[in-house]
Amino acid sequence: MSNKVMQWIDRRFPLTSFVQHDLSEYPTPRNLSYWWNFGSLAGIVLVLQVLTGIFLAMHYKADVNMSFASIQHIMRDVNYGWLLRYMHSTGASAFFLVIFIHMARTLYYGSYRAPRELLWWTGQGLLLLLMGTAFMGYLLPWGQMSFWGATVITNLFRATPFIGDQVVVWLRGDYTVGDETLTRFFALHYLLPFVIIGGVMIHLIALHMVKSSNPSGIDLADKDNIPFHPYFTIKDLYGLGVFLMVYFGFALFFPNLLIEPANNIPANPMQTPNHIVPEWYFLPFYAILRSVPNMVGGVVAMGLSVILFAFMPLLDRSKIPGGALYRPIFRVQFYLFIIDMLILGYIGYVPPTDQTIVIGQIASIAYFCSFFVVPFISTAEEKWLRKRGLPKQVEALIASEELQKAQKKTGGK
Amino acid sequence: MKKHLLTLALCCVTSLSFANEEVKLEKIQVDTSNPAVKRGVEAFMDSCHSCHTLKYIKYQDLVGLGFDKAKVKEWQGDWTLDAPVMGMMPDDGAMAAFGKLPPELSLMARARDGGNNYLYSYLMAYYTGADGVTGNHVFPASKMPDPLGISSATEPAQRAEIAAKAKDIVSFLNWAADPHELERYKLGTYILGYLFVLTSLLFVMKKRIWARLN
Repeated sequence: MSNKVMQWIDRRFPLTSFVQHDLSEYPTPRNLSYWWNFGSLAGIVLVLQVLTGIFLAMHYKADVNMSFASIQHIMRDVNYGWLLRYMHSTGASAFFLVIFIHMARTLYYGSYRAPRELLWWTGQGLLLLLMGTAFMGYLLPWGQMSFWGATVITNLFRATPFIGDQVVVWLRGDYTVGDETLTRFFALHYLLPFVIIGGVMIHLIALHMVKSSNPSGIDLADKDNIPFHPYFTIKDLYGLGVFLMVYFGFALFFPNLLIEPANNIPANPMQTPNHIVPEWYFLPFYAILRSVPNMVGGVVAMGLSVILFAFMPLLDRSKIPGGALYRPIFRVQFYLFIIDMLILGYIGYVPPTDQTIVIGQIASIAYFCSFFVVPFISTAEEKWLRKRGLPKQVEALIASEELQKAQKKTGGK
Repeated sequence: MKKHLLTLALCCVTSLSFANEEVKLEKIQVDTSNPAVKRGVEAFMDSCHSCHTLKYIKYQDLVGLGFDKAKVKEWQGDWTLDAPVMGMMPDDGAMAAFGKLPPELSLMARARDGGNNYLYSYLMAYYTGADGVTGNHVFPASKMPDPLGISSATEPAQRAEIAAKAKDIVSFLNWAADPHELERYKLGTYILGYLFVLTSLLFVMKKRIWARLN
């Protein structure tokens, strides 16, 4: 019976072949480490955010006179409203943490290199969408930090040449952040996650075209690939269990850890808080913005600091497989970059003083340099490594990679 | 890479401890038990309710804490049970006396850097200066007159009593800011317990399934 149903469906929709191609028989490198769990985790956090968000939207009111109180209504009166809201606010941080680790893994292992450039670029697009969605969502509680954060960030668009002032008014729907801004941010905060879901589909299609990278950094021969199910379904589920423990640990025991106290005060356009800080996941970029004395320069630098990741496939010239694994200098560079990000994050958090401004400027220059030196260092490093003699296993990897490339070429013809 | 995850996590945690605390706040352990919160309600009604409002707390919520309706009736006056706990001072009276409105307190325990510690330290920070004028170390610009009388209390026993009262008020305001806190911890314990068992089983399953490869 079920056979017949499946036949009926398969004649009309490629269900069986889809499941086989993309799930049950999808070839996955068996040497993936747990750092490869974060992609599927990001997908699950997205689902969690959408689900909690839809239920929050049923009780939320996007109106400057009502939104703060409607959050309190959710927190106090709606059945398990506090759970939904804390899961959603913690989920935003969890999302960025997972995505940052996912990106760091890609950088460390050089997973952005050919043929995975489009995979990396679609991921970059998703990061921008995620940042936009998070930024607009942060306005919705209509607390002091919501209001002033949105004011500061929309104000940055004044840097647009010639039509800066008009762009700011166009974004806000008013001369200041107000009811028009709140309602449009709510509409977009509800819309963008579905655009993200679409983007994730594209990201996955690209992934299933080029397949997962792996710690060795090359296409493995067929014998080293194993079917996604059951090996990676169970591995991802185990990783999900660990992740959920951390997530619920924060959401249920320390949900206020990442909520600025000032955001528990209703927005007051007449009173600027002592110190306006964005959410932690924007801090490094915010620090770069503040490090440039000129506003236009700051905005350009901040935009560039996010976009620059997309250039990694072009900047990294090395042909040594395995990303940082077999590339000692690249590895040092990677860790220095992470340390630099943490310094920038700290500088973005503290109120600016003469000292922190200087540190921020040095860290910002270091940030950009760590991208711009990549082409020179990667080629020099490769030369040096080859001269010194690569480890045998790496030679073997390169040889097998070239062999595979040759086979593909002849196979294509 | 492991280090990297750790530092990222540390970044989130440490960035919180940089709150600018010019005055050192006294750290207290908030008593979240029902008797402490109820004592806090009584202290609040004695010392704070004459001026301050709890916009998001209804008289009904006080009944929910375990006060009988007759007791709540004393505080609620002509208001109904589902009315919010409004301060008794009219706005124009407050403006005339202080030049500003007394802040709404339902979220006060979450609305200041330092949270509960801030509230307790603030209530206890009143002092009488050499010129006989009362000031506050924690919030020098405060317009609120010393509500618990700590600035004029000299006897250690009296000071201890006021400190206990301040703690009770903080217990109540902590509850008012997050009435589902204890329920949240309880649910959290269940969820983490469940996830621990589930994840352990998944780990065993993962080991078993992957063992097929060798």
